[in-house]
Amino acid sequence: MTEPAAKAVEVVELGKNYGSVTALKSVSFSIESGMYYALLGPSGGGKTTLLRLIGGFLRPSAGRIFLHGHDVSLLPPNRRPTSMVFQNYALFPHMTVERNVAYGLKLLRVPAGDIRDRVDRMLAMVGLEGYNRRMPHELSGGQQQRVQLARSLVLERDILLLDEPLASLDARLRKDMCLELKRLQEKVGITFIHVTHNQEEALTVADRIAIIADGELVEEGSARDVYETPNKRFTAEFIGDNNVLEGTVSDLSANSATLDIGFAKIDVPAPGVTIRTGERAAFSIRSELLRIAGRNEDISDSWQVVPARYVEDVYLGLTVSHLVQLPDGTEVVARVMSDSGENGRFEPGDDVAVGWPANRARLHLA
Amino acid sequence: MYDDFANPWTIRLKWAYLLAVVFALLMPVFYTIGISFNLHGFGARIYEFTFEWYRVVLGDTLLVISLKWTLYLALATIAATIPMALLSAKFYKRTRRKVAFVALMLSPLFVPADIMGSSLLVFFKNLAKGFAWLGQTLGVGWFDGWFDLGFLTAVIGQIIYTHPYAFIVILITMSRYRVQQTEAARACGANAWQAFWDVEFPQIRVGVFSSCAFVTILSFNEAVRTALLKGGFDTFSNMLVAQMLNIGMSGESYAMAGIMSIVSMIVIGTVIVYTLVRAERLERRARAMAEPVMSD
Amino acid sequence: MTPTTDRGRDLPAPPDRWRRLLGEDGIQKWVFYIPVVFFILFFAAPMALTVVWSVFERTQFWMEPGFTLFAYENFFTSARAENYVLSMLHAAAAVVISFVIGFPIAVFIRRRVTRAAQHRVILLFILPFMISELVRVFAMRPVLGRNGVVNSVLMELGILSEPITVILYSPLGVIIGDVMSFLPFMIFAGFLALEAVQNYIFEVCDDLGTGRVRLFADIVLPLAAPGIFAGSVFIFVNSMGVALVPTLLGGPGAVNAGLIANQAIVALDFPLAMAISTIMIFTLVLLLYIGHRLFDLTKILEPIS
Repeated sequence: MTEPAAKAVEVVELGKNYGSVTALKSVSFSIESGMYYALLGPSGGGKTTLLRLIGGFLRPSAGRIFLHGHDVSLLPPNRRPTSMVFQNYALFPHMTVERNVAYGLKLLRVPAGDIRDRVDRMLAMVGLEGYNRRMPHELSGGQQQRVQLARSLVLERDILLLDEPLASLDARLRKDMCLELKRLQEKVGITFIHVTHNQEEALTVADRIAIIADGELVEEGSARDVYETPNKRFTAEFIGDNNVLEGTVSDLSANSATLDIGFAKIDVPAPGVTIRTGERAAFSIRSELLRIAGRNEDISDSWQVVPARYVEDVYLGLTVSHLVQLPDGTEVVARVMSDSGENGRFEPGDDVAVGWPANRARLHLA
Repeated sequence: MYDDFANPWTIRLKWAYLLAVVFALLMPVFYTIGISFNLHGFGARIYEFTFEWYRVVLGDTLLVISLKWTLYLALATIAATIPMALLSAKFYKRTRRKVAFVALMLSPLFVPADIMGSSLLVFFKNLAKGFAWLGQTLGVGWFDGWFDLGFLTAVIGQIIYTHPYAFIVILITMSRYRVQQTEAARACGANAWQAFWDVEFPQIRVGVFSSCAFVTILSFNEAVRTALLKGGFDTFSNMLVAQMLNIGMSGESYAMAGIMSIVSMIVIGTVIVYTLVRAERLERRARAMAEPVMSD
Repeated sequence: MTPTTDRGRDLPAPPDRWRRLLGEDGIQKWVFYIPVVFFILFFAAPMALTVVWSVFERTQFWMEPGFTLFAYENFFTSARAENYVLSMLHAAAAVVISFVIGFPIAVFIRRRVTRAAQHRVILLFILPFMISELVRVFAMRPVLGRNGVVNSVLMELGILSEPITVILYSPLGVIIGDVMSFLPFMIFAGFLALEAVQNYIFEVCDDLGTGRVRLFADIVLPLAAPGIFAGSVFIFVNSMGVALVPTLLGGPGAVNAGLIANQAIVALDFPLAMAISTIMIFTLVLLLYIGHRLFDLTKILEPIS
C-alpha cells in the first residue's frame, strides 16, 4: 500500500486548540523519508504539540496528518507507524531494562526467542550490553534515555519521534548523546523527528530544521540555511547570535535594497524579494561577521561600514563579544575567537567604525 | 522539615501532646474491649477474664446470619466501588471540568448519614412505585420489585458512602504516576487497556488494595444508611444498634463492639503495616534514584 | 475539521463500524462516564428531589404529589426549629474545640516532623477514625458515665469528691462525642492544607525574622484556610446530622437535625423528614458557598491535580 514517492510525514493545515487557547495554528509541511528532522523553537511555541499530534497522543482540532501517504489523523498511537522517546520518567519503573525493551515486541506476540535476540542486539546498539537485569532506577539519566531509544527502535517502526530527549541531561552528556543519536539515525536509516528548544542540539543532529513559534511554522530548511541565511527575522533572532537593525526602504535595484536606518544607508542583498520603497524592513547580520576598526582605517569596498562607539568586551571562553553602540543608541555585537586577539585594542568610549561584508546581510520583511 | 535550632524539650512536649490526643481517641475503645472480656461486665469491682460474652454473641444464630449479610454487603460494595473509583480517577485525569466533577464525587462526604439515608429511602420507595406503575401501565411484569428496599438498595447506599474515600485514595496514588509511561506504552503498540493493565495498574496497585481495605471497613462499620435502606435483613452493626438501644449496655453489646473494633483494627493495622514497610522500601529506592539522577 | 484537497492519494477505508463502536471513541470513552451517571442518578437526583418531596402532601403511610408548606410549618412552629438551632450551636462548639485541639497537631506534623515520617504520624490518627463511629460513641458511655473511667480516676486521685454527671446524657456529652468522632478530620484537612505550603515559605519567614504569632496569623492561617474550612464544615454538618451521638450520649430529649429527620421517618411523616433534609442541605450548601467565596475551596484540590 505504501507509495514509494510518499513523504514520511505530511501535515496539512494542522491545528490544535485547548478550549480557547490555540496551541497550533494551521501548520503545513512535509518530511522526506530517512531524514533527521528537528523541530526547534522556544518553549510553549507548539513544537511538542505538533510532535504529539504526529504521534497520536493528541487529537487534531483541524487539518490532517499523513504518514507514508496514509491519513492517520484520528488513529491512536498504537495504530501509527511511529514510536516515541520521551523527555524522562517514561521507562516502566516496575520492569527490568530487558522487559522494558521487550514490551512492544511482546504485544506483537513475537516468539520469546526472537524477542531475546532482538532485545540483546538493540541493547548492544545503544551501548548497554549486559544491562538486561537492571531496573530503571539503577540507571543514570543518559542510560535511561538509551533504554528508551532501544525500546522504540526495537519495534522497527518507520518514524521515531523524540520529545526533548536530552533536555534533562547535563550539558556535557547532552553533547555526546547528540552525536550518538545522529550516528544511530544514520545506522538505522529511519526518519527521526526531534523536538528541542536547544539550537546547538538541533544544529548538531538535524539534516533539516523547522522553526516553530507561537503555534506557527516560522521557517523550514536545511540546518546550514537556517543558520546562515534565515529568511525570517524571528529565525535570525532565535538562532545564532545575530544583530538585527530596522529601517525604511529608500531605494531598490534589481538584486538589492537600500535601507535607511537613520544615520546611514545600508545596501542589503534582496534577490527576488518583492518590496516597495517607503516600507519598513529589517536586516540581520551574524555577530561573527562584524569587524571593528578605527574611524579612519580603510576597510574593503565590499564592506558596509557605519560609525560607532566602543562599549565593552565580554569574555565567553571560546569567543569574545565586543559591544559597540551605533549613533542611534542600538548596541551591536561583534564576536571573535578569543585567541585571535582581534578588536582588543579599543578602550570603552573610543570612536570606532563597525563593518560587515555587504553581501552577507539578510533582508527581513516586516 | 527539621529545624536544627529548635529546643528539643519543646519538641518532646509537643510529641507528648500529640500522643496524648491519640491515646484519648483510642482509650475508650480499648476500655470497651477490656470490659467485653470481664465476666462481670461494666462497673464491676472485680475483673474476671472470660470469653463468655463472645461465646454468647457467636452462639446467637441471628448474629451469625447478620455477620454473613455484612460480609455479602461488603463484598458487593467493593466489587462495585473499586472499579468505579478507578474509572472516576481516570475520568478526573482527563476531564477539563475537574472542579465540577470533584464537587459531585466528594459531596457525599458532607451529607450526614441520617440525611442521606432518609433521602435515598424516599427516593427508592418512589422509584419502586414508579416502576410498579410502569409495569402495570404496560401490562408486563418485568418491572415488579425494581428498587424495592433490599440488598441492591443497601449496596447503592454503601457505594455512595464509600466511593468518595476510595476515589481519594486511588487519586492520590495515581498522582504519583507519570502519564508519560502510559504514552510510552501506547507508542510501543499497546491499546488503552493493555497500557493500563501492564503499566499503570502495577504502579497503583497499593492504592487500589488500600482502598479495598477502606471500603471493607467503612461498609462493615456503616449502620445508619443500611438500617434505612436494607429491607429484610440485618447487618452486624444494625444488630449492635438495636442491642444498644433496646437492651442497653449488656455484656453482649460490649462483646459486639469488641468484635467490630478488633476486626477494624486487624484490617487497618495490616494496611498500615504494609504501607509502612512499602514506604520504607520506596524510600530506599528513592534514595538510590536520587544519587545518579540524569547524569552519567 | 477543515476539508483537505484531494491529492490523488489513497485515503484509507473508513474504520469499520464495530471498531468505531468498541474503539477509544466509542464505548471505551463512555465507560468513564459510568461514575458520573451513577452519582447523578443515585446521589444528586435524590438530593435535589428531596426539595420536591418536602412539599408533598402527607398521607397516612406515605405521601402524594401536591404543594403544601405544611411540613415546613410543622418544623418551624414546633420545638424542632429550636432544637435545630441548638444543634447548630453544639456543632459549632465541636468545630471550635476540634480546631483548638487538632490544628496545632497538623502544624506540628507539617513543620517539625521529617518529610518521610509525616505520613506515618498521620496514620496514627487514621486508626481511631477507622474504628466504627458506632463503637467509639458507644464506648464514651463507660468512660464518661457516673462510675466511668473519668470519674473514677479523678475521684481516686482526690480531685473530685462527687462524680461529675454533666459529661454524659447532656449537651456537653454530645459535644464531647462529636469531638471524639470527628477530630481526626480536622488534623487531616489541616495537614493536607499545610502540605500545599512549600517549605521555602517557612524558610523565607525564618530568614525575614517573622515572629511566631505573625507567622501563624499572616502565613499559616491564610494558606491553610481552605483546608481548615473544609474540615470545619465536615465536622459541623456531621455533628448536626449524625443521629447516633445524641441518641447514645445526649440526655432525654437531646436531638440534632439527623435525629429529627430519623424520628420523622419512624413516625412515617416523610414530607417532614424531607423538609428537614432540605433545610440541612441548604445549610450545607450555604456554608460551602460562603467558604468558597471567602477562601476559594478549589485550592484544596491542588495536591491531587
